[in-house]
Amino acid sequence: MGTRKINGFHLKKMLENGLYLLQSHEDEINKLNVFPVPDGDTGTNMRLTLENGIRRSNDRSESGAFLKSLSAGMLLGARGNSGVILSQFFTGFFQELSHCNFIGPGELRNGLIRGYRIAYQSVINPVEGTILSVAREGIENIRTQIGRSTSIDTILSMYVAEMKKTLAYTPEMLAVLKEAGVVDSGAKGFICIFEGMLKYLYGEIVQPDTTASSQPDSKPELDFDLFNEYSDFDDGYCMEFILQLMVNPRYNQNFDIDKYIGALQNHGNSLVVVRDGKRVKVHIHTKKPSKIIEQSQRFGEFLTFKLENMQLQHNEHDIKARPKEHKELSIVSVVNGKGLKDLFTELGSDLIIDGGSTMNTSSQEFVEAFKELDADNIVVLPNNSNIILAAEQAAELSGLDNITVIKTKSFAEGYYALAMDDKFNSTPEERIEQMKSGMEDVVTLSQTVASRDYSYHEISCKKGEDIALINNELVCVSSDWLKAIVDGLRHVPDIEMMETLTVMRGDGISEEKSAELERAVNEEFPHLTVETIDGGQQIYHFIIGII
Amino acid sequence: MKKFRILCDITCDLNEKFQKEFDIDVLSGHMTLPDKTEKVTYPKWVDTTAEKFYTDLKKDPNGYSTAPPNVAEFTEVFEKFVSEGCDVLTMTISGGMSGTFNFASKAREAVLEKHPDANIKVVDSRRFTTGFGLMAVNAAILRNEGKSMDEVAEYIENNKNRYHQAGWLDDLSFVAKKGRLTHSKAFFGKLAGIKPLGEFDYNGLTTVIGKAKGAKKAYPALLSYIGETIENPEEQIVFIAHTNRLPQAEQYKKMIEEKFHPKAIYINDVYPANGINIGPGLMAAYYFGKPISEGLKEETEIINKYLK
Repeated sequence: MGTRKINGFHLKKMLENGLYLLQSHEDEINKLNVFPVPDGDTGTNMRLTLENGIRRSNDRSESGAFLKSLSAGMLLGARGNSGVILSQFFTGFFQELSHCNFIGPGELRNGLIRGYRIAYQSVINPVEGTILSVAREGIENIRTQIGRSTSIDTILSMYVAEMKKTLAYTPEMLAVLKEAGVVDSGAKGFICIFEGMLKYLYGEIVQPDTTASSQPDSKPELDFDLFNEYSDFDDGYCMEFILQLMVNPRYNQNFDIDKYIGALQNHGNSLVVVRDGKRVKVHIHTKKPSKIIEQSQRFGEFLTFKLENMQLQHNEHDIKARPKEHKELSIVSVVNGKGLKDLFTELGSDLIIDGGSTMNTSSQEFVEAFKELDADNIVVLPNNSNIILAAEQAAELSGLDNITVIKTKSFAEGYYALAMDDKFNSTPEERIEQMKSGMEDVVTLSQTVASRDYSYHEISCKKGEDIALINNELVCVSSDWLKAIVDGLRHVPDIEMMETLTVMRGDGISEEKSAELERAVNEEFPHLTVETIDGGQQIYHFIIGII
Repeated sequence: MKKFRILCDITCDLNEKFQKEFDIDVLSGHMTLPDKTEKVTYPKWVDTTAEKFYTDLKKDPNGYSTAPPNVAEFTEVFEKFVSEGCDVLTMTISGGMSGTFNFASKAREAVLEKHPDANIKVVDSRRFTTGFGLMAVNAAILRNEGKSMDEVAEYIENNKNRYHQAGWLDDLSFVAKKGRLTHSKAFFGKLAGIKPLGEFDYNGLTTVIGKAKGAKKAYPALLSYIGETIENPEEQIVFIAHTNRLPQAEQYKKMIEEKFHPKAIYINDVYPANGINIGPGLMAAYYFGKPISEGLKEETEIINKYLK
């Protein structure tokens, strides 16, 4: 006989199991991401979203109370489109069950229905062949079979089975999947979560993957300019390691945890030492790492080791915590790359969010950014199509009605939005219009190296080939980067009517390369003016805004 | 009536052709080059071409600087004219951006001490480059029509706020750095492809009154703007000045001719005395029109109406 009723504690355990199952498939799901550049991050985004929800949830027996905290946490932590849709699903689930202490078969059915409906509503143009389709068909195809005596595990097992059928069919629903020969990544992730929940009920506990912390998340890189030859060094290092105690007689065999702690305490603070058999986990803040290493190596060797300059992190924090200045209009931009950060700041962005290489800023990061500002109006430039939803969601979550998300889909669009902002002659309303018109009609051509084999319409590329995209659509493939760009430019509609190319040079791309590009453009398109900016963005070697 | 000379400082940008045609005297200034040598500035290209000069300038914007003619130089030229029996109407670059007006005034006092019956007037054009040059040309035309020096000086005082600039400046960093731009603290570097549209404020400082995305959007807005701010275009001389933007200047000239049929329209270079402070990328028309409103409120409204 299966489970008839579940409460908040059960739900949490089930979801944790779902999270771990998702995590174990994270890489696989990332790779399904059809976009031909290495920003395949659907699995990571969904994992981070769910993880944040679980971390922020309260341990409550009442299902409604638990779901309330869970869905709020997911909303705040939602990353990427798939994360936002996932969070919306659970928002719907919560709305349906907000007054329930226990969840029985009828409640579960209604929750799953409400969940997919709210998820559909959250997307402006719902696309079939995605999470939305599997969540809808999964429950719609079985709802009539659910009665008062159907067990929770039976429902979930039917639900998962139906969703898998739909998943296999997603390439038929969405041409881009079929061309790439994959199923939808978000849908796959969604099913993993429910499968994990079901497994919990069957007693199959999935072990958390401890290596997951090495997964790419959007943790911004540190800005080394914040620590230089003149900086104070008061904070020391944050040091963390796991020490393997060794039996070789070369090592001291008389490890005494209290004496060890006593020795370390002389050289730092915030000390935590945990012993687990022959392994010792240590966390300490110290200015003299060598002393700690010396003390530890008497007994064994390091399994892991992490050392961070806390002054650098402190300085980063100080910059973020600078006093608020009241403004009629403040601009928040999501940017990646040092040159682009400086440029967007210079052009009038009041706050820069580092999007990281994958540009998957969460709603929570936006909400926190909004709190940093003291402005009558806030404009958000997401500069990536994956972040627009998260920005819009954050605008809603923040409870502020003065936020405008200008849907810039590339750094080039964001650049022209800012360039057309005429802050001295205009009201906030006019400035918003100027920025909107600034991003209009900007063609973005980007060039990079394909991260996987891929085909799109008539075009296919192999991993490692140079590709050019116009407004995020693959237009040409070549073994030569320059040829890819020049051919790409020929694909730009009305290129003969265009005037200017703004070339943003990526991280590690030399000046010689951009000079070569400039020469080639001057030769092929003498009417175009080329301006080059050292953008420093990751992933894309060149991003070119064309007006 | 006693003959009078019209003397402008170097920043009027009138070259020998215009000097001759309108009988205007131009007093040279000074510039320092990146190799620290000092040179006299003329409204002509000496040892360089416009193209080479602006390319060099772009490479080393901080290497060049300018200085106006000093008191002694003004004194010398005043004495020369006075000894020839001429009255002198002196026009200078805007006092809002240079001390030239004071130098000329000091020189005048010195000359009057020696020659109490000399007749020298110094007026502040409140403009620079071709806006100033056009004002001097119009002063010369009034002189030809038989107006006295006092009448011409009065005309300038009453009308200098009607001299317009309608055009763009690709790279605002030069004017910003040299204090010739309103709001100079803001970011006004080069915005790729964006054309900041500049008009003179009361002091002759360039003020950005709007921005156009690309030349193809800028031209029609500028033409409509000129249409609303120019007066009797058929009777006007229009100048177009540019710093290394000749093809665009020629295109603009053609459009203005077709739309407004001015009495005459000239393309003029911007020579080093101004060019060093303006930088490459200026392309603007200069014309006589309606008085410019305070804070350029009306002008900003007009141009933005056409930029939408």
